[in-house]
Amino acid sequence: MPLRRSVRLAPVVVLLVLAISLPVPAQTPKYGGVLQIHPLVAPPSLSPHEESTIATVQPASACYSNLVYFDPAKKVESPDTVIPELAERWSWQDTYRNLVFLLRKDVKWHDGKPFTSQDVKYTFDAVRGAPDAAAKLRINPRKLWYDNIEHIEAPDPYTVVFRLKRPQPSLLLLLASGYAPIYPAHVPLAELKTRCVGTGPYKLKDYRPGEFTEFARNPDYFVKGRPYLDGVKWVIIKDRSTQIAALQAGQLDVGGSGWNRANAEAAKKGKPELVVVESDSNVNDNVLVNFQKPPLTDPRVRRAVNLALDRKAYLVGPRLGAATFGGAMQPKPTGIWGLPPAEVTKLPGMGDPARQKAEARKLLAEAGFGPSNPMKLTVSTRALAIYVDTASWMVDQLRQVGIEAVLEQIETGVWHPKMTRLDFQVALNLTGTAVDDPDAMLFENYRCGSQRNFSGYCSEEIDRLMVEQSQVLDRAKRVALVNEIDRKLQAEGARPILGWGKQYAVYWPRVKAFPQHENSIFNTSRFQDVWLDK
Amino acid sequence: MRGYVAKRLLIALVTLVGMSMVIFVLMRLAPGNIVDIIFESAGYVDQADKKQLEHELGVDRPIPVQYARWMGELVSGDLGKSYRYDMRAWVIIKPRLPVTIELAVLALFFSILLGVPAGVVSAARQNKPIDYVLRVLSLAGLSMPSFWLAMIVILLFVRAVGWIPSITYVSPFVDLKANLWQFMVPALAVGYRSSALIMRITRSAMLEVMREDYIRTAQAKGQRPTSVVWRHALKNAGLPVITLIGIEFAFLIGGLVVTETVFNLPGVARYLVEAIQFRDYPVVQNLTMFIAVVVVLANLTVDLLYAWVDPRIKYGNA
Repeated sequence: MPLRRSVRLAPVVVLLVLAISLPVPAQTPKYGGVLQIHPLVAPPSLSPHEESTIATVQPASACYSNLVYFDPAKKVESPDTVIPELAERWSWQDTYRNLVFLLRKDVKWHDGKPFTSQDVKYTFDAVRGAPDAAAKLRINPRKLWYDNIEHIEAPDPYTVVFRLKRPQPSLLLLLASGYAPIYPAHVPLAELKTRCVGTGPYKLKDYRPGEFTEFARNPDYFVKGRPYLDGVKWVIIKDRSTQIAALQAGQLDVGGSGWNRANAEAAKKGKPELVVVESDSNVNDNVLVNFQKPPLTDPRVRRAVNLALDRKAYLVGPRLGAATFGGAMQPKPTGIWGLPPAEVTKLPGMGDPARQKAEARKLLAEAGFGPSNPMKLTVSTRALAIYVDTASWMVDQLRQVGIEAVLEQIETGVWHPKMTRLDFQVALNLTGTAVDDPDAMLFENYRCGSQRNFSGYCSEEIDRLMVEQSQVLDRAKRVALVNEIDRKLQAEGARPILGWGKQYAVYWPRVKAFPQHENSIFNTSRFQDVWLDK
Repeated sequence: MRGYVAKRLLIALVTLVGMSMVIFVLMRLAPGNIVDIIFESAGYVDQADKKQLEHELGVDRPIPVQYARWMGELVSGDLGKSYRYDMRAWVIIKPRLPVTIELAVLALFFSILLGVPAGVVSAARQNKPIDYVLRVLSLAGLSMPSFWLAMIVILLFVRAVGWIPSITYVSPFVDLKANLWQFMVPALAVGYRSSALIMRITRSAMLEVMREDYIRTAQAKGQRPTSVVWRHALKNAGLPVITLIGIEFAFLIGGLVVTETVFNLPGVARYLVEAIQFRDYPVVQNLTMFIAVVVVLANLTVDLLYAWVDPRIKYGNA
């Protein structure tokens, strides 16, 4: 009888198994609706090439196109996720010395003029500061990225050749960043700060500095059937509580830019139906130890400061459990170039807190500091909550090893100038680079004389290794070399990394295909595939 | 009267010139300048480019020359260019003025609407339960920081009804109803604090007036109590209240930073703080001058209103 019943039930079970295992049919995207979202802060302009803040890249990405872009649907950016945009295809030639792009022929600028290879040459000649460039950017923060380009040729309207001084496979990734849009050669650069003439999925509808940036669907967009949305509106909301309230009240579709775990949880608590996506990010909390200011010129003092900062306390304290540990490059698995996890656990600050603090005290004593002659340190940081929380924690940690540390809050407008002038002792900083790639991260932040090398660290050997890794074509060998550089940077305390923060996207279930990359926050705001289910 | 107004306007002009000097010098005494901020926040400083920009913006010239240039531009109606946004300052300032003015006027309207009657009732019913209730309410209004109240209001709205006023500015010329909804809540939040102050001043002035002989006479002659309070006493107690209202209006024009931030209203005060952070000299100077003009004019208006409220005040020989 039981066997007979089993036989009778068998088809039902098979059907159930089939029903469960069959893929759920994907929802058909709907057209229409305006996506309301808030940026990190107010963009200073709409010209990504002239700014170094995500606040500009976030809204402006909807308007522009690159030669290539990172696939919005892939969570982790890598050379394998680079997809064509204005370039139909590309090829490396002459052992990664020439990069040839074949361009689309059906692209028009938002003002109706045709897009050609001259626009590409114009853009990158301006950005690399070529002597014969047709235009010059007033501010050019990423000139260093294109230092290796010797010449750009446009042999015909739909072909562009980048000729390099030495092989540099990472150039393609830099060109895929949100910071590498193609500008129209027929529009003066100065005008692009307040108006946007691009080839992207959305046209600029209205730009009110400090208030909002609104885009409307570009009906002539070269990707047929896209975008799905009628528009995107980036609303500037300065106050974090108001951002959360606006999301909960449904006035925003998406929130989360610059939020921490507590903010995301608060939003979700008020409206349980909200979708919260927590993921890794390529923004790290780092300690700037001024290599040029006594007593921090003494390596023992620098190491003592590094050891005094208990990383596990950092994780549960200011970061509320939302961070990962790593070195100069974003840690694995979402980071491509990070140190092996086993090595990360051995970095300064990662060990037993009592023993590390004892070692820090010993080093300070060797350097001539002790209870009778305590070291006085000012910990500077930007007067923003996300900075001040961690810097306050730092002050407490330093006091535990006998350093008389005090906190100095610097207003945003003066923060970067102060860092660039190395006008501080120790500082708590947040650093994010547009692309998870050593050519961006290492050259910008650790190279001798780089404007973003805020700690004044300089090593000829590291500089040499940086150039060497940039040319290595074999991925595994290059990772090994980058790890070697990272090990040296951590051992020397070039810029002690406390941890890599998490990022949050919090949105209503009606928002579909919202992109979020786990190793960059800069390359996702094209929004051509995003749609609203309402 | 004309002579008095002319004299006051002259004094106002001198005050404004003095204010302009203070604003100008203070901005330049603060560490950092816009050129440093623009270049160094980008992590890029080409000294030649920096010098060229300093020259373009005129910040390489001696301070007196810069001041004279600003005054010249101001007199000719040119507010200069926002260094931060690379746009004409007027283009940025213009849409913000109506926002702040509307919020300040509405807040003042609510504060008078709530504060004056509450003060009168409180004085007329001195030491009665209603007096205690109103005094507690006014004390609460004075004690609660407006930023806290504003946040609580927002949170209560979103929790209770799942609604908050629009986070993008709605012009009254586009949708009056939506505009009023948007401004009603912040105006009430701000107006409550001001009304508490007005209530207390009204109450104390009324208590003083109510002890005057002519009030006792009016009462002895059999006038109705409401008539005594509202027609005779209130008018005579009005001078300090009018002074306070004038000061409150001037304060509201420049003091709405937190309210504008919490309710995401793109007004003058919020923008002024941002401009100060980025050393956007033309915007800061011109906005601060605007606030100074409002303060001076509010004071002048209050002084002129005295004569209307109290016919014994004559300005002719002043």
